[in-house]
Parts: sequence; structure tokens; C-alpha cells
Amino acid sequence: MKKILSTGMLLSALVLAACGNGDSNDTGTNAGSGDAAGGSEDVNLTFMFRGGPDEREIYESVVRQYEEDNPGISVEIIATDPDQYATSLQASISGNDTPDVFFVEQGSVMAYVDNNILLDLTDLIEQSDIDLDNIWEYGIDSYRYDGEVIGEGPIYALPKDVGPFAFGYNKTMFEENGIELPDTDVPYTWDEFVEVGQQLTNGEDQWATGLNVNWSLHAFLWSNGASWLNEDATEVTVNTPEFAEALQFFVDIENEHNLTPSVEQAQTLDTYQRWMNGELAFFPVGPWDMSTFNQLDFEYDLIPWPAGETGESATWIGSLGIGVSQNTAHPEEAFELVKYLSVDPDGQQQLVDGLIQIPNLIDVAEDWASDTESVPNNKQEFLDIVQDYGRALPGAKTYTGQWYDEFFINIQPVLEGDQSVEEYLEEVQPRMQELLDNARQ
Amino acid sequence: MFTDQGGLTLENINLNKDEVGVRSTSRKSKLFQSEHRAAFLFIIIPVVGFSLFSIIPGAISIFASLTNWNGLGNMDFVGFSNYTTMFNDTYFWRTLWNTFYLMIGIPIGLVLSFLLAVGLNRRIAGRQVFRVIYYIPVVSSLAAISILWQWAYNGDFGLVNQVLDLFGINGPNWLQNPDTVKPAIIIMSVWKGVGYSMLLYLAAIQSVPRTFYEAAELDGASPLQRFRYITWPMVKPITFFLVITNIIGGSQIFTEINIMTPTGGPMYSSATTVWYLWQQAFSNLRMGYASAIATALGVLIFVITAIQFYINSRSQYKLD
Repeated sequence: MKKILSTGMLLSALVLAACGNGDSNDTGTNAGSGDAAGGSEDVNLTFMFRGGPDEREIYESVVRQYEEDNPGISVEIIATDPDQYATSLQASISGNDTPDVFFVEQGSVMAYVDNNILLDLTDLIEQSDIDLDNIWEYGIDSYRYDGEVIGEGPIYALPKDVGPFAFGYNKTMFEENGIELPDTDVPYTWDEFVEVGQQLTNGEDQWATGLNVNWSLHAFLWSNGASWLNEDATEVTVNTPEFAEALQFFVDIENEHNLTPSVEQAQTLDTYQRWMNGELAFFPVGPWDMSTFNQLDFEYDLIPWPAGETGESATWIGSLGIGVSQNTAHPEEAFELVKYLSVDPDGQQQLVDGLIQIPNLIDVAEDWASDTESVPNNKQEFLDIVQDYGRALPGAKTYTGQWYDEFFINIQPVLEGDQSVEEYLEEVQPRMQELLDNARQ
Repeated sequence: MFTDQGGLTLENINLNKDEVGVRSTSRKSKLFQSEHRAAFLFIIIPVVGFSLFSIIPGAISIFASLTNWNGLGNMDFVGFSNYTTMFNDTYFWRTLWNTFYLMIGIPIGLVLSFLLAVGLNRRIAGRQVFRVIYYIPVVSSLAAISILWQWAYNGDFGLVNQVLDLFGINGPNWLQNPDTVKPAIIIMSVWKGVGYSMLLYLAAIQSVPRTFYEAAELDGASPLQRFRYITWPMVKPITFFLVITNIIGGSQIFTEINIMTPTGGPMYSSATTVWYLWQQAFSNLRMGYASAIATALGVLIFVITAIQFYINSRSQYKLD
């Protein structure tokens, strides 16, 4: 008898030890859910999202607000780090444990809809009091999908935010060097940009800029009339003369005109850090940067990107959406939560005050941008990008981004001047085309 | 563990074991049945765990490799097309080459840890402290160490380059330069694993019977000869064990790569096979293809390990 008892205890201890034997990669933290304050209906929703620490705090407080206004509903929050989000979400979906409400990346919409993961929200939106005209069209259209193309058809998610990628400059540096401030409406031409840049570069501790090809190349490409894909996203069009010209200019900024820290200086760390130290004249600025940049030693402001052949600036707008799982047990309540997170005026105000993003509601945004006293003065630039000259990243219109990533894997020799632009584009286009064709199957 | 040269012990005396009942392993004997039952229960737990968490998912993975599953939807059978794609995929071969290149660290680590073990076997002051110091990296979290080394390898102000500066050497940007990224990772892996191998070698060295050394000394063997003919061969089983486990572990290296070079290194120069298949599975929604890569890797590891076992079985100093 004693033997059986002790064997049993030992066995259960072994089982528990086996269960706990895993990788220590903590992919999620379960913030406690609020109490269900009375109510006969006890609805439990799971909300999965990602973000930096400030963002998480604000979103969690919005969720609390939602729980307060809707007694009987409790929300379990699962927050992950940005780079682990995709993996965690996919694991949950594969395990038939899709969260009720979760963030959706633009590039994933097509795949998720085709695999019946997202709930069609169009009817729910119509029945609610959401005024679609007061939300950025870009934000809504990014989550429309009719089975063929993004931008048309039923709506599958509401935008969590739209992130215009603007161009900024170091106002203090310009003033110290006695250079005329850039015009906030008329973009520089490429030649003007080089000229101003050379005036500000002294090669030791001050440069014109330091741009990362992954994020900044688009502005130069698009404003030169080039593009990654053709109209209906079936063909990769990187081997056009306009594309080559833009890429060449980008490479030249570093190698010919010497406007950036040298290859050794720039690769190691961040031109981002150098910008923060006040060593760079120009640098890209997204809404998510505002909270950090506002605390720097110098004053910065926003201008349109330098324009190429077309004479007009162009840049990309990032976005994340908030969607509802198709298998959710409580579609209306889940949708309510999405509404709160996306378009609730108080929530939006909180996010704007925290300098996390620009608001989704147009009237709130315009109100915020009309404040030209606080830094950055030209907040209107962000709004202009969303409404006028910004467009989606190429990966948002295709099934997966593999063809797009291929472009950047081997681009290093081109940037260093070891391989010619034309040669590289000729080489990479067929590979990208193949990957794009594969993705479309 | 080692085959003892053995003198006259109880086991050697040829008794009729059934009569004496000392070592009755016959199944029909009822004497030890309750113990057999208990033993069976003890064994069944890990076996169940193994099947549930290793065999069944493994089988599913092999099946998935024959489909075009994208990780979210249905699995549609496509035969061996994933495998043909894999053979033609330059990135697959590049990552395979990277994976095996990184295994150069194994012999380096073994030699280093063996020397350390020999050194720590002597009665020097602070022995215990050294053992602890060398073992700390082993028990530290791999993710934390990767982040630490990522900063140490920073080209501008990392610790490694600062130390090299003291000698007047201008250190490269370790993790961004395709030529130095793999050596950098090898150095880090060796540093992390040396404590573990050292401890095993230490135990093995200390278990060599003193009588051997005494006999050799009487025969006039020099310290070097004693080392070469007694110490080194007697730890061969440990070497065998370490080589096998390191190869199996090394071919699956992932965490360090993902943290230190999140994009697979410049021009995929540090991407390993497991990292590549993770990319395919989760970023590019090609779970079927990733399963094919995983299956191929598994078969490769199996073959290599089988070869090693075969070579070892023909050696004189084997594990029992």
C-alpha cells in the first residue's frame, strides 16, 4: 500500500516536471482580467496585441474603460513583443485557440480572409454609429478585401492606426549654420537636397543624413515614377529605368556625394543614434517616434520628402488593423471592443496625448494638427501623407512578403558600390517574380 | 560505465543463479513481479511523454511536408514537390553550409574544455571558484547571453572591439560583416558550452583508476606518455558522447541566430537551416515547405549519428 502511494506521488511529480520542461521563451504575459461586475451574462473575450511599453499601458487602460462601460464582460489581455507577435498569433490560430480580438498586419489580411480567420465586419459597422467618413480612407481600405485585391470589398478589420512615414529635419542645426529652413510645402528636388546636404556635412560629426534602405528607398522610388509592382500586383517591375535611377541616387547619397556617415560608421550603429545626438540634418520621422524625439536637445520639424522626376513627394503609410475571429462566440461584444480600441474619442485622445500615433478620427486629428506651437510644428505633414501622397508598402498588396524581402537580402554589395545597380536589378527581378508567382497560388 | 579489467568479484563466480536467486531476471519468476510492475509504471511516463510530444508531432510534420499547408488552412497533398523545390533552393544549401560551418566550434570546444579539465584536476588554489565561473554560462539563459554578446560584438563600442583596441587592432563590425559573423557566433557558442564539457571531462579524468598511473610510473612512463596512453583514451567515451550530442544540438542552432542576426545576417551569411525553416513557416506561410526542410534535416542528423555509432562500435574503448 505504502509502495503504491509513494510510487503514485513520484509519478505525478515526474509528470509535472515533464510538463514544465520547456524553453524559457516567454511569449506572453497574462494581465489579469477585470471582475465581471454582476450581470447574468458572463462573457469572456481574449484580446491579443503587441506594442511597446507605453502603447501597452494605454491600450490596457482603454480595455479597462470598456469593461467598466460594459459590465458582465471581462477581457483577457495577451500582450507580446512586436517581433514575436506573428509567431504567437499563428500558433494560436493553428491550435484552434484564435483570440476573439487581435491585431492584424496589413500583409496578412489576404491570407487570413482566405483561410476564414477574420470575421466580416461590414454589417456590424453599418449597424453601429461609426461614421466611416470621419476615419482615414486609407485606414479603412487597407482592410477591405474582395477575394482578389485589397482595397475593395467587405471590411475585415478596423484600423488600429495609420502610420505615415514623414521626413524630418534638425531645425536647430539649420539655424546654427545659417541655412534657410526648408519649405514645408514644396519638396526639395534631388539636386537641391544634395546641395543643402553638402553645406551641412563636415565629415566628422555632422552629416546630411543616414538612411536605411529598408524604409527610405520607397520615397525616392515612388517620387521618381518607379514602383515595385505593376497595377494589379502580378508583375515585379523593379528593372525599369526610373527604378534604377532612384536606386542609383540612393546609393550615390552615400558613395558619391558623401552625405552620410561612411559605411563603417553607419553600419555599426544607428544613424538613428546619430540623429538623436543631433549629428544628422535629415531623418525620417514616424508618429511613433514623436514621444522620443520630442525630448531631444534640438528642435525638429517635418517636411515633404525630396521629390524626383514626378516633382511630387511620396512615402509609405504603415498600418495595423484590429480584427475579430470568425469563430468567436460573441461577435457583437468583440466588435464593441474593436470599436473602442479603434475609434473611441477618449481612447484616441489618450493615444494622441501619449504621442503614440496620430488619431484615427479625422476631426480629432485635424484638431491636434492645428496646434502649430508644440513640436513638431508641422504636424499637418502627417495628415497630408495619409490623405494625399502616401501609399501602402508593396507587401500589403500581396499574399506574403517573401518576394519583397528577397530584394533586400543581397542588396548590400550594391549599397557599397561593389555591384552596379542595373546588374543587380536584372538579377533580382526574375527571383522576385518567381516568389511572387509562388505566393499567388 | 567502463569495462573494468576486474579481479575476483561475486559476479564472476559461476553460481547457478536460479538456485541462489541473486540475479533472477527470468520473467516467469514471481519473486520480483511487483517490482517489475513498479518499474514498468516508472518507464511508461517518459515513453508516453515522448510519443505525445515527439513521435506524433514528428509524424504529422512528415505528413505535412507532402502537402502545401500554409499553417492556417487545409493541407492539400502535393507529393514530393516540396522536396524538389528544396533541392533547387539556393538558400537551403547556403543555410545548410552555414549550419555545418558553425560546427567547427565543436572540436575547438572539446579541446579547450579537455585542457581546462586537466588543469582543474590539479590541486591548485581556487579550483572550486574556477569550476563555478566556467559553468555559469552553461546555466544562463541562451536568449540573455545572445543579447549580451550582440552588444559585446557591436562594431562601434562593443567590449570585444574595445579589448582589441588595447592591442592596437581595429576590430571589424562582427555581426554585420559576412566574413566575420560566423566566427563570431562560433566564439560565443564555444564560450557558452565549454563549462559543460569541462565538467564531464573532469569527472571522467578523476574516475581513471590510480592503479593505472602507478603501474605506468613504475614502468618509467613520462607524464606526457601517461597522458597520451592513459588519460586521453580513457575519456574517449566522453568525447564520443559530447561529439554526438553537440552535432545533434549544433545542427538545430536557432536562438543565437535569431537574436544576434535577426535578418539571417548580411546576405544570409549566418542563417542556419532551422532559422530558415522558421522563416518559411511563420513569415512566409509555407508550413508544408518548412516541414520538408525539417524532415530532411532530421534524416541527415540521423544518418550522421548512425555513422558515428558504427565507427565507435569498432573502437576498443566503448560505452557499455
